[in-house]
Amino acid sequence: MPVVRERVAITGIGVVTPIGIGAAEFTDALRAGRSGAAAITAFDCTGFDTRIAAAVDDTRFDAGAYVEPRKMVKHMSRSASFAVATAAMARRESGLAASDVDPYRVAVSLGAGGMGPVDLDLLLGQATSAVIASRDQETDELSIPAFARVFRERTNPISMLRGLPNLAAAHVAIQQNARGPNNTITTACSAGTQAIGEGLRAIQRGDADVVFAGGADAMINPVGVLGFSMLGTLSQRNDEPSRASRPFDAGRDGFVIGEGAAMLVLERESVARARGARVLAELAGYGCTCDAYRITDERPDAEAAVRAMRNCLGDAGVDMSEVGYINAHGTGTKMNDVTETHAVRTLFGDGRTLPPMSSTKSMIGHLLAGAGAAELAATVLAMNAGFLPPTINHEVPDPDCPIDCVPNVARETRVDMALSNSFGFGGQNACLLIRRW
Amino acid sequence: MPVDQKVVAAPELVEAVRSIISEVMLVPRDKVGLDSALIGELGAESIDFIDMVFRIEDVVGHRIHVSRWGTFIEERLPGAELSSAITTTIVIEFAERERARAA
Repeated sequence: MPVVRERVAITGIGVVTPIGIGAAEFTDALRAGRSGAAAITAFDCTGFDTRIAAAVDDTRFDAGAYVEPRKMVKHMSRSASFAVATAAMARRESGLAASDVDPYRVAVSLGAGGMGPVDLDLLLGQATSAVIASRDQETDELSIPAFARVFRERTNPISMLRGLPNLAAAHVAIQQNARGPNNTITTACSAGTQAIGEGLRAIQRGDADVVFAGGADAMINPVGVLGFSMLGTLSQRNDEPSRASRPFDAGRDGFVIGEGAAMLVLERESVARARGARVLAELAGYGCTCDAYRITDERPDAEAAVRAMRNCLGDAGVDMSEVGYINAHGTGTKMNDVTETHAVRTLFGDGRTLPPMSSTKSMIGHLLAGAGAAELAATVLAMNAGFLPPTINHEVPDPDCPIDCVPNVARETRVDMALSNSFGFGGQNACLLIRRW
Repeated sequence: MPVDQKVVAAPELVEAVRSIISEVMLVPRDKVGLDSALIGELGAESIDFIDMVFRIEDVVGHRIHVSRWGTFIEERLPGAELSSAITTTIVIEFAERERARAA
């Protein structure tokens, strides 16, 4: 008996990003080529090599508005609150009513990162101050009993729950009454992409009819900024934050750390049709591989990245010539952009024209575990609005990145099919394909 | 102090506990009445009581192991439907007992 695979529809998109909250605002900002980068104000970063980031504007984002009862907010990490808010937005847009689907057929697939006591109040107010307070003044050694005493006094026991890796997806489930499979993917910069891909698989293999799929992260804290900075991955263009993220530009010097989330409502075609849902796009393909090479270096031949894209196209049963646009991983590090360009050129082969390939990270920064989800959201929204998102800050083309990166200005054009790439520290490569419905 | 002994809470303790419940449940203070059912009306769950006990430590000035709350409820409200039985007054009573224990 031939297996006829049902299509999977994207019926809702929610985003919280440094350049826009909600799909409409985000789309406008992408089209305008707006940068979300600015000097860090969340904490005093005097003396840091990198003092810029793309943060979500707290004066415009109130997690409590998306959460019931409101007190649940205090149990959420910053990252989890982004995930929950975007799931609520996506649900609202999808029009999915409680009666439309058995809650046990609703899954959550979330890309998450930044685990542990990363929120500022936990990091500085509690754990670190307990360590400082418990040093023996004569020997300067840490006394564990003293640490325990101070930590016990200062740490609210419930705050520990915020750092658990699976809790963001649990909060999404609680808010959405999603009682099916509940999965968290933690493959760093490719987590959001893989979470959406695995959400697609959950529907295809019959485990769910609806999936809240996406990614969230919030690492603009001293440890996150110092950590990536010490690895040499962050731009130090501190005097010109909005010009710092410049993927594929010869003058690029690293990525700008961002934060935020995006969630999609994925839906089995028959379920979407039965309720007359408005479909934003088809999630048509997914591929993922691992370099199995080095921790942060990418394979110079980009073989595994090429294979991820090829698998994705094969999964959708389409030819690369049908792809009208690629949303690049495009971090703006020296290595990524060269390797990714090489990967795409290898995929398409010599002599074939590459489709335009731009990096939304030039505008929103690198949302880490949320990046792939925000970028797929950007790809769908831009396709439906009839433009390609630009790569801003493109001044001097890098001869090692010979691509059409949609420099500086959004391009008004119609495409019907697009790829979105993510490549993580650790070598995880993931690729998604969307198609006009 | 046996749990059946009458406890009379000082007014400042009453107000401190109401503030704690308001902060923990993220509801306005005027919504926290003495008879408000914390679970049934305000939506409290287990971890919210852990949070309250942690904050009550500051009010009474000493550490309270969280198991004391469970023991108190078992003794004070045996067999009761907790979603309606645990009220602000019950939490005030717990705080008063903990303060008396310190003294």
